[in-house]
Amino acid sequence: MKSTNIYLTSIGTGYDLSNSVFSPDGRNFQVEYAMKAVENGGTSIGIKCKDGIVLACEKIINSKLLVPGKNKRIQTVDRHLGVVYSGLLPDGRHFVNRCREESQSFKSIFKIPIPVPNLLDRIGLYVQNYTCYNSVRPFGIVGIIGGIDDNGSHLYMVEPSGSFWGYSGAATGKGRQIAKSELEKLKFDDLNIKDAIKQAARIISLAHEDNKDKDYELEISWCSKEFTNGKHEFIPIELLEEAKKFAEEDEGDEDEDEEEGEGEGEGEGEDTEMN
Amino acid sequence: MNHDPYYWGRPSDEVYGQYNYNIANAKNVEQHNQNNSNFPKMNTQQPIITGTSVISSKFKNGIIIAADNVGSYGSLMRFNNIERLIKVGSQTIVGISGDISDLQYIQRILDELEIQQEVYDNDGGDFLIAPNVHEYLSRVMYNRRSNMNPLWNSIIVAGFDSEKKPFLRYVDLLGVTYHASTIATGFGSHLAIPLLRNLIPENKDYINVNEEQAKKVIEDSMRVLFYRDARSGEVYSYAVIRLNEETGKIEFEFNKKTKVEDQKWRFAKDIRGYGSTQH
Amino acid sequence: MNGINVDINHLKKGEVNLGTSIMAVNFKDGVILGADSRTTTGSYIANRVTDKLTQIHDTIYCCRSGSAADTQAVADMVKYYLQIYSAQLPPGEKPTTNIAANVFQEICYNNKDNLTAGIICAGYDEKNGGSVYSIPLGGSIHQQEYAIAGSGSTFIYGWCNENYKPNMEQEQCIEFIKTALAEAIKWDGSSGGVIRMVILTKKGVERLIFYPDEYGVLTRKDDL
Repeated sequence: MKSTNIYLTSIGTGYDLSNSVFSPDGRNFQVEYAMKAVENGGTSIGIKCKDGIVLACEKIINSKLLVPGKNKRIQTVDRHLGVVYSGLLPDGRHFVNRCREESQSFKSIFKIPIPVPNLLDRIGLYVQNYTCYNSVRPFGIVGIIGGIDDNGSHLYMVEPSGSFWGYSGAATGKGRQIAKSELEKLKFDDLNIKDAIKQAARIISLAHEDNKDKDYELEISWCSKEFTNGKHEFIPIELLEEAKKFAEEDEGDEDEDEEEGEGEGEGEGEDTEMN
Repeated sequence: MNHDPYYWGRPSDEVYGQYNYNIANAKNVEQHNQNNSNFPKMNTQQPIITGTSVISSKFKNGIIIAADNVGSYGSLMRFNNIERLIKVGSQTIVGISGDISDLQYIQRILDELEIQQEVYDNDGGDFLIAPNVHEYLSRVMYNRRSNMNPLWNSIIVAGFDSEKKPFLRYVDLLGVTYHASTIATGFGSHLAIPLLRNLIPENKDYINVNEEQAKKVIEDSMRVLFYRDARSGEVYSYAVIRLNEETGKIEFEFNKKTKVEDQKWRFAKDIRGYGSTQH
Repeated sequence: MNGINVDINHLKKGEVNLGTSIMAVNFKDGVILGADSRTTTGSYIANRVTDKLTQIHDTIYCCRSGSAADTQAVADMVKYYLQIYSAQLPPGEKPTTNIAANVFQEICYNNKDNLTAGIICAGYDEKNGGSVYSIPLGGSIHQQEYAIAGSGSTFIYGWCNENYKPNMEQEQCIEFIKTALAEAIKWDGSSGGVIRMVILTKKGVERLIFYPDEYGVLTRKDDL
């Protein structure tokens, strides 16, 4: 109970009700609560390897009536740019929309596809703006943006505060802790994109442990000079099936090993991470 | 006082008399005043660097379209590397004649259309087909002419419709559109259409024509245009889009840097004088 | 149109024009821009030592032809756009010539009804080496190996086409431009004065100037 103390002291003091008001210790609680919305969403990850980027998400299926394979979650911003996010889905749609507008606006002046860092400069500013006014609430998502431009491949993660960082491996959503610890084991410098796809499938399947009571669908997209001509696309069905198979087999192995280490895994799962 | 905002703060005619436009030698202002006062805004425009004809024809299981690579600046052949056939989506070609800066603009808005309709759609919905592209362009062209600021082009859209039948349709700077089995713009409508109509007399007749026949007439037309159109070039691009009836798939063939073949000039040596019987 | 308006066409008629000979040529190590130095108002030479080569960024320049006022305004706008653009670039990176040329194109195309501006944009960048873009009157854009423009250029189309070689040495390229512009100046009354050049390479910017008594000998052999 001790760790939740900080909330108890601030809840009810009024500093957590508005965006444009700092608490006396210099925090914007609305932004931190937005992070909570993200922590309940399905896991999303991104991997940057030497020859491209891979995005993957654990799409939670809330109804058996939804058409399998449709209602895609990973979206394309421009030919060379993909986005996946965890959190409030409508916020995500708006976020992607804005990414698209910024890309087109850049292109309308400079006539070249927007370089990935440029998009993040713009979109970070936009998301940050939603933390400054009491008439709006911050974005309830963390977005992972990946793509290829003239300088190679890029992977970024944008938070509700508007801050963004470049990553080799990024994870967000409910299973982010497991996903992060798995990503940390990867050797990004040697990883080729086809292996990255398999790893993505495996990591999503492991991260689903945190959300076991719900069904999910695996979505994976990629962006590679060699295989997609620099375009962001969903991976072909054969590759997806292969990756799923790899993840399943691997899980079989894990189950055997896991008996020893299960205890620590649990503890990590609900760790609060508020920054 | 005249309450029309246009006259606010201006000297009124009743007090000061009619304004003398000759001040500052502004003779044409008076003229403008009479001629255009009811128009909100007038954009005069003229094409600067231009591309000449585009010619196209349907055949039994597809279409063929061709345009040369010249960009003329008046009579100066300013550029010889202008690609005037634009691929949109996977099975549509847009051929453009007229102003090249507007051509490049159309190229950009078509790219934007392609991104919006095909790249953003990730649920595998319908993709862009020729009738969609034509409808879009005709709206753009008509809108621009209605704002008195036309895009100075004639455009042919070639591809397949939703029933996988060859589709060929025209739109120009006025927003006028029409369909036909053989379409040509600019000089081509005078010189190439007669040749194309020889092969396909009426719109329905394209089903009796195969690809080789259509291609031959297009090649002949490009040669005649090179002979007789002073703004044409010897090198051209052509595209063929055909439905492979065995596989049911649409095939796309884009040929660049084709040269006008079978030119005949040798007869010139026998021509002397004015061509009358008296020498 | 009303009494208080000033007649725009009357103003336009008295405008200072760069009835020019300008060119830019790719060579082995980068690109060289060249221009004459004559500015006219009608047939009066308003400035006989004009600098028509304008810096847009560290190693991106443009040659201006058409209305002096229009092209200066456009060049200033592009310069400003590139300042903002390069501020957003990762440290040490510089904008490409392509970006600069595309901004020129955007401005010239969107304001085509009000501008008389024929521009050649050329520059050196790490990614593409030297590159040359021509943005003629209507606001279209054309990448070329070399570009010529302005009233004097019409007299040298044939000569340049015959004598241009890809991947020239620097000295060879300077000689090519000098001869071409000397010929353009000779035949075009609206071109004249000195020949200015700017060499853009990995090493940076180098300026050259040639005076009529120097380049004149290239063309004078037939009239003396």
